[in-house]
Amino acid sequence: MQITSEYLEQAIEQLAKLPGTGRKSAQRIAIHLLKQNDEYALKLANAIVNLKEKVTRCSTCGNISDKDPCNICENPKRENGQICVVEEFNDVYIIEKTNEFRGRYHVLGGIISPMDNIGPDKLRIQELLQRIGGDENINEVILALNPDAEGEATSYYINKLLKQYEVDVTRIAYGIPMGTELEFIDEATLSRAFASRNAF
Amino acid sequence: MLIDHLEILHFRNHHKTVIDWAPHLNVITGPNGAGKTSLIDAIHYLCMSRSFVSTSDMYVVHKGESYFMIKGHFQGQIRSQFDVSCSYSRGEGKKIFVNDSPLERLSDLIGMVPVVTLTPDDKKLTLEGPAERRSFIDGFISQISPAYLRNLIEYKKIRKQRNTLLQEYRGPLNVLESYLEPWNVQLVEAGSKIIAKRYEVLENFKEYLKKDYAMISGMDLSTNLEYQTFCTPSTNVDDIKSQYEKELDRVLDKEIEREITTVGPHRDEILFLLDDFELRKYGSQGQHRLFALSLKLAQLHYYSDELDDLPILMLDDVFGDLDLHKTEILLQALEHHKGQVFITSANPIPFGNFIDFNDPDNQYYTVQNAKVTLTNRP
Repeated sequence: MQITSEYLEQAIEQLAKLPGTGRKSAQRIAIHLLKQNDEYALKLANAIVNLKEKVTRCSTCGNISDKDPCNICENPKRENGQICVVEEFNDVYIIEKTNEFRGRYHVLGGIISPMDNIGPDKLRIQELLQRIGGDENINEVILALNPDAEGEATSYYINKLLKQYEVDVTRIAYGIPMGTELEFIDEATLSRAFASRNAF
Repeated sequence: MLIDHLEILHFRNHHKTVIDWAPHLNVITGPNGAGKTSLIDAIHYLCMSRSFVSTSDMYVVHKGESYFMIKGHFQGQIRSQFDVSCSYSRGEGKKIFVNDSPLERLSDLIGMVPVVTLTPDDKKLTLEGPAERRSFIDGFISQISPAYLRNLIEYKKIRKQRNTLLQEYRGPLNVLESYLEPWNVQLVEAGSKIIAKRYEVLENFKEYLKKDYAMISGMDLSTNLEYQTFCTPSTNVDDIKSQYEKELDRVLDKEIEREITTVGPHRDEILFLLDDFELRKYGSQGQHRLFALSLKLAQLHYYSDELDDLPILMLDDVFGDLDLHKTEILLQALEHHKGQVFITSANPIPFGNFIDFNDPDNQYYTVQNAKVTLTNRP
């Protein structure tokens, strides 16, 4: 066996590091790219460079943005006194797609987990408290963290800290996903849904 | 519940074996090391997602092969017909399929086919430390209560997080306390549910144990068990919670110093008593042997009453050190039990005297170098 292009090989090696991409897929992508015209390859390369160089974090909410403050924090229409607390920026992306929530966000940048060496001090919790004590007129904090042990611990910790402020603390409901059937729900979710049932 | 067909590939000393099982008593004999236990261990995999002999999946793969595969066809009352298969390979790990659809979590399998195993290792239950008894009661309750298993998994995770925090944290004490609190709340929540359930089950289990010890020993020594935890056990979760919170407060300094969670169901003990004497301290070899046997028979009878279907019972080489009279009592009890039973034995026990092999519901197998032969009678 002889490798005639070291560059092709390098491209494959880098592509194979992408999530969900094995060496075979990486090979296919690299060969595909090689067959495209120069313009396409340059666009792709630029997009990747911009992703790293130009995407930044909003200094207010911690979400990713092309400018600081981000569109959401800057938008006066989103000033409704609500802050939704999420673990990571991808959660913002998902909640935004629902177009239901019209308040602002606060991205913690992680979740409390001693085993991963993440304590409350490594999350953007102080920044959250500053916002609530600041001039944003916050009256409700909505905790939208994952319903596992770490998410619960984080919610509990934040809720406790918020007791000193005059804000309502709420959490998103846990239960049965829409468009599914009861028989496909695991018992843990179902018992939780029963516990937090509401009046019809 | 019963298994009527089993296929195994590259499992322990079996290269490829296919067997049809009888609905009631299945007796498997053959020399040591022939592959008798492997057959019922394969069934155990389909019930509990793991071996009852080996601690690691890696070691049950046939020598020189890279994977094993077990497939069984079950029928019963809870669900009339279904297939369970389990595959393991070094690269991909273990996967369980029910009717060819993969289970998201291995723990989802537990309880689908309830199983009770009697093995020579059972003597550890009464002779060794409390961890053996906790693991017995955890396996016991998990098969009848998915909620209990879920709480156990949750509790273990929370305890691990909390222990890491106690070990790694270097800073002011009041900050550590505020960091511990979210974990304490969850530890108390999951831990209290575990204790309440253990207490509830053990209280009922006592009566089964009494009956089965009397039956197997033929003596009227009274057995009892005492569930010991850090507080007064109860079936009331809120009751335990408030005691748990107080106890965590009380031991805080000690836990910080020792950097480990010291209070909770992971420290529980079950004392076995024979005529009010602690078996572990005063019991004779024979009493230990019979007690362990009664524990498992009591589990069988408890399941039979509690569940909508009968569990599968496995007896791995337990007749070896029972006297003829006890053997007879045990075999009579098995005849009486309506569910499916698997018996392995290296010794030529006169099974034919106790079991009717003309009955098509019973079957006799011999195993020689991992080859299974069906014989009509011993």
